[in-house]
Amino acid sequence: MTSRILVSGGGADAAVQAARVALPLAKEIGAAVEAVLVGSAAPDADSQLVSELSRLTDKIHFFRVPESTPLTGAPLADALERAAADGAGLLVLGDHHFSREAAARVALRLGGPCSSMCEAITATGDGDIRIERSVYGGVALGAFKLEGSPAVCVLAPGVSAEVEGADAAADVVVHDLEPTAAAQALVKTGEEVLPRTVDLAGAKLVVSVGRGFVKPEDIAMAEELATLLNGELGCSRPIAEDFKWLPQERLVGLTGTSVAPDLYLALGISGQVQHLAGIKGAKVVAAVNNDPKCPMTRNADYVLVADLYKVLPALLDELRSRGNGG
Amino acid sequence: MRIIVCAKHVADSTEIRYDETSAQPVLNNVPTKISDYDRNALEAAVTIKEQHADCKVEVLMVGGAAAQKTLKEAVAMGADLGYLVEGGWEDPFNPLISARVLTRAIEEMGVPDMVFCGAYSEDGYSGVTGAAIAELLGLPYLGPVTAIDLTEEGLVGRLPQPGVAWSVGAQFPCVLGIDSAMNVPRLPTVLQTMKVKGDRLRSLSLADVGLVAANLHADLPGLRLEHFMSGAVQRKGVRLEGSPQEMVSELMARLAEEGVLA
Repeated sequence: MTSRILVSGGGADAAVQAARVALPLAKEIGAAVEAVLVGSAAPDADSQLVSELSRLTDKIHFFRVPESTPLTGAPLADALERAAADGAGLLVLGDHHFSREAAARVALRLGGPCSSMCEAITATGDGDIRIERSVYGGVALGAFKLEGSPAVCVLAPGVSAEVEGADAAADVVVHDLEPTAAAQALVKTGEEVLPRTVDLAGAKLVVSVGRGFVKPEDIAMAEELATLLNGELGCSRPIAEDFKWLPQERLVGLTGTSVAPDLYLALGISGQVQHLAGIKGAKVVAAVNNDPKCPMTRNADYVLVADLYKVLPALLDELRSRGNGG
Repeated sequence: MRIIVCAKHVADSTEIRYDETSAQPVLNNVPTKISDYDRNALEAAVTIKEQHADCKVEVLMVGGAAAQKTLKEAVAMGADLGYLVEGGWEDPFNPLISARVLTRAIEEMGVPDMVFCGAYSEDGYSGVTGAAIAELLGLPYLGPVTAIDLTEEGLVGRLPQPGVAWSVGAQFPCVLGIDSAMNVPRLPTVLQTMKVKGDRLRSLSLADVGLVAANLHADLPGLRLEHFMSGAVQRKGVRLEGSPQEMVSELMARLAEEGVLA
């Protein structure tokens, strides 16, 4: 294990996530943390990203690519490969689609092991890296030793660490990068801003609906409940993907968004393992389901084995009578 | 036009439980299936085939005897041929080894216009294999894509990210990671699966694709599994009783005690 950890990610938030998680490990083993960013124009030194990254890292390498290069995982892999040429024992990438592509490519080029969905990264006594990641859709966690160097790790969604950054700002070093063929082969032809009406990941309270709802119109009741409780509306996979009653952005679980609210209220959700994996961060889980044997009722703090069509109106009456108006 | 769809033979993760005593996930007698996300990839390929008479779809799977049934089901979704690589599946959580085996098989089958992979696998959920295949083949990768539009010499894929969706064009050949939001996969009937005869199924040994089982792990850096832990969060499991109104009152009181109601 060399004394240099590179942190990066497919997006700005991902790079910051990687830096936060890498910092405690770097302190423990006495390694420097250096960030790797890619773009066509150097980042604004005053931007929140650069200021946050510069407090968490010792140096920021910015790799400038031609404007025509779509910033997918391919140019990021090229940048990481270049940065790692000066020696690196560990590459940590924050959770993002493009991080996974970059990790695959750079691990193969550098001959290191690669794992994604990492929930914890630690150093073994003999200088190797050990990670914990979920397996079988979240049924179990596996502890794996990464054999070889550099180890390339992509973090799972929501993984973080309490860290205190330094006051001093890291230097930003700008490099010009000619992307490899795989990156140059892509052409960005359009961009659509997606309306972000939901912030499930940051919600303090989530009311979530599953297959227990028999008609799409009935979801209005859950929506009213979410409004009365100042929460967001979420759903399970069949509701978003099979029935398409709610948009993908409301999907809770490994396939959709991992949530960490104070309260997760699961209405008519059976609790498949991928769904449960996405609500691990919830402080309290309450479940309403008429099946006492479904996984959701076995993985909740408060369980109402009942017909949601009886419980939900009662819950709405109770809240309306309390004058909860949001 | 030719598409190879990589489909993973997996244990049904909804049927696996974690045994606290042995500290192991219990895989005995768990049914096996096509990894969910790969069914989306197959659906995407078969849909293109239905719209383009000259399109051939081949399914590529890695696995032992038990995977033959899974491969047949995959072919029954509408593929022309199914290939089973008999070896190299022992390490389901190391995407680089899977990618190496799949890439060698793709080279043996002939590199197609498009390689489709599910954006994730159901057991490892790595989301890395498709991109690793692209790297090994020296090809561009687009993924996870939620839509594909074919063009003259390639395609445009839709790549959603937080707050924005990009349209990105790639020329053939290329590798795509197919998102589960792209489509709803068809379910082949038992009859359709039975009708898949041996002449649509091919087997490849590791030797056929130029790999030696014993070297597979030695040649590539490993992920050595040390132990398992439960993936579940310990929850209180308090069952509330009574009429719906009583249960609701009790729930509200408990949640207020927990301090989780705004």
